[in-house]
Amino acid sequence: MEAFLGGLAILLDPYVMLMVLLGTVLGIFVGALPGISGSTTIALLLPMTIAMGPIPAICFLGAIYCAANFGGSITAIMVNAPGDPSASATALEGYKMAEKGQAGLALGMSAVSSAIGGIFSVVVLIFAAPMLARAAYSFGPPEYFALALFGLSMCAAIGGDSAIKNLIAAAFGLLLATVGMDLTTGVERFTFGSYELSDGIGFVPVLIGLFAVGEMLDQAARRVGKAKIIHLDAARVPGWAEFKKCNRSIWIGSGIGTFIGALPALGATTAALIGYNETRRWSKHKHEFGKGSIEGVAGPEAANNAAVGGSMVPTLALGIPGSATTAIILAALIVQGVRPGPHLFNEQPTLLYAVFASMLAANMFYLFMGLYMAKLFARISLIPPAILWPAVFVLSIIGAYGPNQSMGDVVIMLVAGVVGFLFRRTGFSPAPLIMGLVLGGMVEETLKQSLIIFGDDVTGFLGRPIALALFAVTATGLLWPVVSRLLRVARAARA
Amino acid sequence: MLGAGLAAPRSLRAQEAFPSRTIEVVTHAGVGGGTDITARMMMVQAPGVFKQEFLVVNRTAGSGAQALQYLASKPADGHAIILVTQTHLLTQLRNPSLPQFADLIPVARATADPQLVLVRRDSPFRTPQDLVEAGKQRSLRFGGTHVGGVDHVTIFAFGRAAGIQRPTLVPFRGGGEIVINLVGGNIDTAVVNPGEAEAQLRAGELRPLISLAEGRLDAFRDVPTAKELGIDVTGYTLRGFCVLKGTPEDRVAKLEAGLIEAMSGPIYKSYLQNTGQAPDSVAGRQVWGAQLEQFHKDGREALQALGLLRG
Repeated sequence: MEAFLGGLAILLDPYVMLMVLLGTVLGIFVGALPGISGSTTIALLLPMTIAMGPIPAICFLGAIYCAANFGGSITAIMVNAPGDPSASATALEGYKMAEKGQAGLALGMSAVSSAIGGIFSVVVLIFAAPMLARAAYSFGPPEYFALALFGLSMCAAIGGDSAIKNLIAAAFGLLLATVGMDLTTGVERFTFGSYELSDGIGFVPVLIGLFAVGEMLDQAARRVGKAKIIHLDAARVPGWAEFKKCNRSIWIGSGIGTFIGALPALGATTAALIGYNETRRWSKHKHEFGKGSIEGVAGPEAANNAAVGGSMVPTLALGIPGSATTAIILAALIVQGVRPGPHLFNEQPTLLYAVFASMLAANMFYLFMGLYMAKLFARISLIPPAILWPAVFVLSIIGAYGPNQSMGDVVIMLVAGVVGFLFRRTGFSPAPLIMGLVLGGMVEETLKQSLIIFGDDVTGFLGRPIALALFAVTATGLLWPVVSRLLRVARAARA
Repeated sequence: MLGAGLAAPRSLRAQEAFPSRTIEVVTHAGVGGGTDITARMMMVQAPGVFKQEFLVVNRTAGSGAQALQYLASKPADGHAIILVTQTHLLTQLRNPSLPQFADLIPVARATADPQLVLVRRDSPFRTPQDLVEAGKQRSLRFGGTHVGGVDHVTIFAFGRAAGIQRPTLVPFRGGGEIVINLVGGNIDTAVVNPGEAEAQLRAGELRPLISLAEGRLDAFRDVPTAKELGIDVTGYTLRGFCVLKGTPEDRVAKLEAGLIEAMSGPIYKSYLQNTGQAPDSVAGRQVWGAQLEQFHKDGREALQALGLLRG
């Protein structure tokens, strides 16, 4: 406790405070731009921070990481172009809300739920990091396989109204996930001799194409007779009634996000997608999903920001980064002389609590900035489509090219854009496709790893209690609608 | 006449100050990847040495293939250097259409990170002999990166040198996953850089059995090297700079001296130290070239034996 107060005291230093503030503003900005992610920014600034001294440097980078994850939701909501892959689930409902003229509500709710998720996960990090970190060791390939299967089991339910169409889209996503060098055989699949495809189909270009370019094509194909009716409440931020409605979603999202973030092999994107599923499953207003549900913004936003704190668990307590971003944060910490590991909590508490304190402060900062700026950003929806969408298109191309400096990714993005347009016209939803693409590679890889570990003996799964429990949850989720219907029929027959 | 006409510009070019424009550093790693960070750490002090700007070019596709193609598209004048790892050599072996190892001139080594054979704390293998004996009875499960990757080549070479049954590779996405699965008991052993498992080694959760370095490591005085045990194999994660063949000799020499000077500064030194990499990582082209040559040979043999080479 004393060490934690010491950590908070660090924030009283105006220089450190300034760095956190600077990091937050920069983080929101780069997070909002598709193509420049928090991890790229941190990597580019890494050599610069060496001269800053450990505590300001760590606070600066931590703040960027926290704020970038929130920033991604701004473009997801306003122009359907997730600024960060983890905001893709947010785009599903957030953009629909913006179309209904509720951009301010969506942005405000995103800021609030992001901050709650972020703060929740830091609190968990402070009290339970060493314990949670032990859990990571219990998660081997069989357990990840069971978890990925659980995520995939929801494919039929999310997205559009037609279960068949959702399954078709999910299968398409699974198919895309098979492209590239196969980990367990070293053979390239479906690359047609192209180096661009040997690392698989990138998640970012597909996402940008499917959402932003698909939407642009759709807008362009419509005849706009008159200017859209401008809703007066576009800039309204959420009030008490909305918070009450989303309360449950935020806590579900925070819990799931923290747990999934703490697993080294899974990141904020998976956390947000599973958070979205579970929010929908436990919601009292299921019919609103797919049409602009505010709970559907709150759940995944809480989850992806909670995953930020969660992902710091294995990074700090085990020295094992769970994602590209934490890998760079880890490098930054190590360069600054922090030695992550189980002993960090006893050996270098001041540095550790400086990390926590700066993350808490960054979450607070973007909460206020987000609520304040929601009104400002919401006015983007007042820009005429003929001006807005070409600008989004340019951003999309930069966004697809940026991360790998690859024209191949731009082509993938454009193809995904056409697919996205056709999806809209034929009543398919991009959500299950993304689930398939994100989880497909993992399902296949972890199954093969498990079988290698078990010596090709499937019964090996029986010796893995955690995997069995997850299988059971999946089976229950799939069978429950059938069982409950049968029970109802039986009860009706008896009555 | 004709001969004189051609010779004149060449001699002019030789006198031209080098470097005369921004030097591009091509890497196959994405921004923030381990190799990318190595490049950026070198570049903190390089501009001061060369009096020119440096620029990282990330060409990530195809495990080095795209980076090699990019390098080949540039003139061989020393203004484009590539940060090569062992992965590039394997990619070259598997893709004969790419610029090959013989088309590169090694310039200087940036990192040489020795690998350790690790087991978990409660493993039945107490000594190197236990491991080798067990490996003769059954195929040991080694954690490593993808099939046909650098770890696979090292593990294959280790298995053959130790006279054990061909090890089973359990492939993972990276060092972190390997370490977790080793502690979690999903694999028997793994070949890992000390930096990747630093926390677990310090906590005693993992034990080093054999070092794959040339000589004993300062941080692991008690751990015998494979060579001492009669297993003729070394394992390093190597990164270093190369230029295209045809680059004038005086420029290669200038690059070698300059890069070594830039990597002898305090920032690069502390980068090596803090990331747990060997302090004697930086070396000239003699050492670096010989090491690449050796891995090129091992890699060819391993890929052929594993059936991953066409033709």
